[in-house]
Amino acid sequence: MGRQQPHKRKWTPWVLPMALLAAWWAATAGQWVPPYLLPPPAQVLAAAKVYAAGDKGPMAGRFFADAAASLVRVGAGFSLAVALGLPLGLVSGRRAAVNRFLSATINGLRAVPGIAWLPLALVWFGIGLKTTVFLVALAAFFPVYLNAQAGARNVPELWLQAGAMMGASGARGVFRVLVPGAMPHVVTGLRLGLGISWAYLVLGELTGVPHGLGAAIMDARMLGRLDLIVAGILIIALLGRATDRLLVLFLTTAFSSARRRP
Amino acid sequence: MTQPLLTVSNLTKSFHPDGRNPVLKDLSFTAHKGRFLCILGPSGCGKTTLLKTIAGFLPPTGGTVEVAGRPVTRPGPDRCMVFQEDALFPWLTINVAFAIPGKKKRRLELARFHLHAVGLSHAATHLPHQLSGGMKQRAALARALALSPQILLMDEPFGSLDTQAKAQMQKLLLTLWAQLAQTILFVTHDPTEAATLADKVLIMGNGRIEKTMEINLQRPRNRKDVELFRKANELEEELKV
Repeated sequence: MGRQQPHKRKWTPWVLPMALLAAWWAATAGQWVPPYLLPPPAQVLAAAKVYAAGDKGPMAGRFFADAAASLVRVGAGFSLAVALGLPLGLVSGRRAAVNRFLSATINGLRAVPGIAWLPLALVWFGIGLKTTVFLVALAAFFPVYLNAQAGARNVPELWLQAGAMMGASGARGVFRVLVPGAMPHVVTGLRLGLGISWAYLVLGELTGVPHGLGAAIMDARMLGRLDLIVAGILIIALLGRATDRLLVLFLTTAFSSARRRP
Repeated sequence: MTQPLLTVSNLTKSFHPDGRNPVLKDLSFTAHKGRFLCILGPSGCGKTTLLKTIAGFLPPTGGTVEVAGRPVTRPGPDRCMVFQEDALFPWLTINVAFAIPGKKKRRLELARFHLHAVGLSHAATHLPHQLSGGMKQRAALARALALSPQILLMDEPFGSLDTQAKAQMQKLLLTLWAQLAQTILFVTHDPTEAATLADKVLIMGNGRIEKTMEINLQRPRNRKDVELFRKANELEEELKV
């Protein structure tokens, strides 16, 4: 992130995906892997086209509705996780009593895999938006909380003293010294949280919701359409990557402290 | 004589709740407006604790600190401190505009003025990690002066600089002190530095002011001047006692 490298080549990030694509193509074109285990790239691309803009066949043209539904769920769940995890993490990073009060519970809950919550969430919230948002928020909360806590804990006392001396104490100190000082960790926590949001989105959507990228993958499985499953996986990868870049772009544009090298 | 600007009376500071092993023991002194005071003492004698108590970072165990007649209870811009180590915020270019109150235009103007005063105009857009040690302390000085504090507290601010940068910073500080009629309380363990800078040196040891010495040398002072050398030696002898 913003780090200057001596020999920065623009194409470096593309080498690995291109190599994987080539290997995939070679494996399927050379008949080393049968198409019922892994469909060739061309077939996946064709399936993706139909999924995005086709008007014939199962799941044709569903992409935009699915993507919109999924983005809403990720957005709502992630926002909830940030709204709770960020302030709680910052406070528990600075106040030992708050940390002692929260840490046993939070670290205990953190050990429970998200999938274990699924049956309970289904009973509580039924199938659909609420269950998915709950799972996403729950999963994204922990990295946001833990990193905000580590960031707040690592802000040197000296910075807070300097801030207080210059009239930035209390709430002003929090917003002008503590949060900017903790920002490198906060950014890491937000990025991890957003990434895990996508993982739990798919989990929440596997339960039979009508729209969503996870639902699409599940429908494709019912239909035995491996090409659509692979297309769905690639779309989630691309959207996950795109939202991560947007998050970083937003943070570095809005906060000078997020541009800092940790 | 007029009322002193800073009055420290019977100040005691212990880091234990029951008050044992006090770092500062019943310490008293005053400073008048516009004076340059040095607190000279070996490391570990409580100099930094004294400064931090005056700054309001540490509550006194006993006794009081008053600035312009008002007791100090917490940190504030009337008592700005330049720290021993680098206390610049790494995410802000040069930091000087941080605490100046008022509108953005005024803040930038004042920041520019103070950057110019410390000779950092050319580095206004730099981030702290791009500055050398001397430049960082210049920026810290500008940041403190920009708040027009009643008292400038300095905790061995040039301790980590090389001899040449240190001499430059001392000269700069004296120039600004004369221009701004700024009251300065400067902590150091270096007798030559104290003799170069101060009107009055408070020699500290074991949590007390052991002795007070006026430095009546003419300004501008020259480090190679025999009189200054003699004063510095005198101070050094006092430290050994």
